[in-house]
Amino acid sequence: MKRFILFAAALVLALPAAPAPVSAQKDTLTVALVSHAPTLDPHMHFERVGILVNINMFDSLLHRSTKLQFEPSLATAWKAISDTQWEFKIRKNVHFHNGEVLTPADVKYSFDRVLDQTKKSPQYGNIRAIKEVKVVDAETVHIITDKPFPLLLERLVFFPIVSKKHVEAVGDQAFGTTSPVGTGPWKFVEWKRDQLIRLEAFDQHWRGKPPFKHLIFRAVPETATQVAEVKTGGVDIIRDVSADLIPELKTHPQAYISSTPILRVHYVNLDMRSAPFDKKPVRQAANYAIDKATVIQKMMAGLGTQVATTVQPLAFGFDPEVKPYAFDARKAKELLAQAGYPNGVDVTLHSSSVAYRPVFEAMAQMLTEVGIRATPRMWDPGPAWNKFLQAEGKATQGMYGTWGNYSVFDADAVLHPLYHNEPGGWIGRWYARVEGLDKLIDEARSTVDQPKRKRLYSQIQQMIREEAPSIFLWTQYDTLGISKKVQYAARPDEWLWLYDAKPAAR
Amino acid sequence: MLSLVTRRLIRLVIVLAGVSLVTFAILQVSGDPIALMMPEAPEADRAVLRQSMGFNDPLPVQFARFLGNIVRGDFGHSFFHREPALPLVLARMPTTLLLTGLAMGLSLAIAVPIGIVSAVRRNSAFDHIATLVVFLGTSMPVFWTGIMLILLFAVRLRVLPVSGWESWAALVLPGATLATFSTPLLLRIVRSGMLEVINLDYVRTARAKGVSEWFVVCRHALTNAALPLVTVAGLQFGLLLGGAIITETVFAVPGLGRLIVGAIRQLDFPIVQAGVFVIALIVVLVNFAVDMLYIYLNPQIRVR
Repeated sequence: MKRFILFAAALVLALPAAPAPVSAQKDTLTVALVSHAPTLDPHMHFERVGILVNINMFDSLLHRSTKLQFEPSLATAWKAISDTQWEFKIRKNVHFHNGEVLTPADVKYSFDRVLDQTKKSPQYGNIRAIKEVKVVDAETVHIITDKPFPLLLERLVFFPIVSKKHVEAVGDQAFGTTSPVGTGPWKFVEWKRDQLIRLEAFDQHWRGKPPFKHLIFRAVPETATQVAEVKTGGVDIIRDVSADLIPELKTHPQAYISSTPILRVHYVNLDMRSAPFDKKPVRQAANYAIDKATVIQKMMAGLGTQVATTVQPLAFGFDPEVKPYAFDARKAKELLAQAGYPNGVDVTLHSSSVAYRPVFEAMAQMLTEVGIRATPRMWDPGPAWNKFLQAEGKATQGMYGTWGNYSVFDADAVLHPLYHNEPGGWIGRWYARVEGLDKLIDEARSTVDQPKRKRLYSQIQQMIREEAPSIFLWTQYDTLGISKKVQYAARPDEWLWLYDAKPAAR
Repeated sequence: MLSLVTRRLIRLVIVLAGVSLVTFAILQVSGDPIALMMPEAPEADRAVLRQSMGFNDPLPVQFARFLGNIVRGDFGHSFFHREPALPLVLARMPTTLLLTGLAMGLSLAIAVPIGIVSAVRRNSAFDHIATLVVFLGTSMPVFWTGIMLILLFAVRLRVLPVSGWESWAALVLPGATLATFSTPLLLRIVRSGMLEVINLDYVRTARAKGVSEWFVVCRHALTNAALPLVTVAGLQFGLLLGGAIITETVFAVPGLGRLIVGAIRQLDFPIVQAGVFVIALIVVLVNFAVDMLYIYLNPQIRVR
């Protein structure tokens, strides 16, 4: 018995002392994320949930406005000196959370850290075009790329600058777990993994103090739990509210919904190497077969916009003159007959997008109705899907997916992974076989002449709309559920830039 | 006595080695973690990393290296956390043990008295109602029970927090949810165990001596009925650890289950290995304890 009591006492001690429920306090903003990233080191992961936390603790060289314009952040001015060299002026009198002052050496160190292959940073691929970062003088840094790199500025919007002295002093592991130090609006207090990340306003932040003194990121994996938390005031902001839950929060006295179109396009990539999608009329028929307007209205709470190609309205290079395929079942059947399938054809489509399973299945039904008899196959988004993808597309005729461009607002960020045949690329190398497309994509990514790039992307959009390497569907909205105690609005880049959040006036 | 303990300990080691081999094998066929670690890097860069992490060595070599490291308590560095895997796993243990311990305690606290009363007053209204209520609990999947409890106690009545692990009140709902899963079987075992012994000669003899009815029930009958209960409770503990994963997800409890599920999704081999190993170790140890408890409860086993 005595032993048992000792054991029970040990368990009791395992529970941390309980502070008062902080979220009820007025100067605290609590956000629910589905999980925490494995590290707070902003360079050593590439996960949305981690980025959302990091941006509130670290600044990058550039910032992006809610209108998607580049704004100065740690860089006050920037210009291209040549096709492969950029100059950045670094903001003066910026303090790190530990009191140190930001120098160009910290900027150089941050880049070198990710470019150092022994550190195995998952962000290495984002900036590997950078050949060298040079400190020119006390306020100037030059970034030199190995070839023209038009996406450089995009990549710098999330490229947090860390303190060289601090990281070297505490080491990589401590920096990512117990002592992350940046220049952002909030500084680190504590991290209980998969429970909460507690931050506190940084008094010396160069923009001025943020409106909320405390910022907490809780890890709440279950959507139903998140919704219950918003209703009871345990959490102030939740993300990714699904279409079926929107009415519930819209009508709740304690909460509201904020929604905005984001950079995420839905598509079905078609395997152009094998029958039946090796024939252009079949691919076009598939595009005519989908009643996009109905899906958006009935299944996505109206929160979607039809697209002509996978290049989205929010991305640089988008051409509004290229129009979406209309829903036309008769035309689809004609095209199918023309391609030699008057009695229809069987195909199998794959998806791992659990949230959009009903949409995926409805789409398979619509294809079936025009004669493309589609069997939808759902995969668990974890290892099973990963393995399926690595089987190099041998097993598939089509793949339903969504692509968020990794938050790069540029046509290249969707065209290259989806359609370019370069070995080592993403699914494009297995699925897409559009004559001449690779060359155009390469040409557009190897110049920083924006008007020229725009012309090339127009040409590409006309080309892929005609060749239809995908079924082009719609773009998605991001929907936040927000407590009425807080004023905030969803951003088109899916960021939670909480410096803009304010206590609601009451 | 000693040889029994030794035999059990040897079995423990064999089970753990087996579990490690199975986990290792399953992870090997489940895909390539490098592709998840470097999503936008070209294949050439991935190949470098793959080589440096020893993924190109023959599988037996990798397994031997893995076993050798385990013996030294080294499960490797998590691919994503960039920290040693074992401390990460151990840091989560107390939370999950507290949750499962709470559920087990709650289950026993409900199942034993109700089971005894149900057996003593067999086929009474109490017996039927108790059975019905408890089985309602078990007929519902854990995640559903959890969400229903949240809606009732946290959203409607506002007496408990929705989720989290920051206060004592937050433990109530996950503990209760998990307990609904394990209570019914324990209740059945107590009830049927009691029924089996309650009419045996020795119990009748005790009664004949004039001992009070409750003393007979608790001292004489229950001690014998406790044997199957202890066995089942030991096995249930393993199931509860599994059920805890779902409960942790619904109630946002920062336990071991969530760490492992997250690691499986990302193919973070070291974490999965360490987590499964530690859970297997706990299950084996609990059942080892059950065996020892047997010896205490039933002197016959000691003699054999």
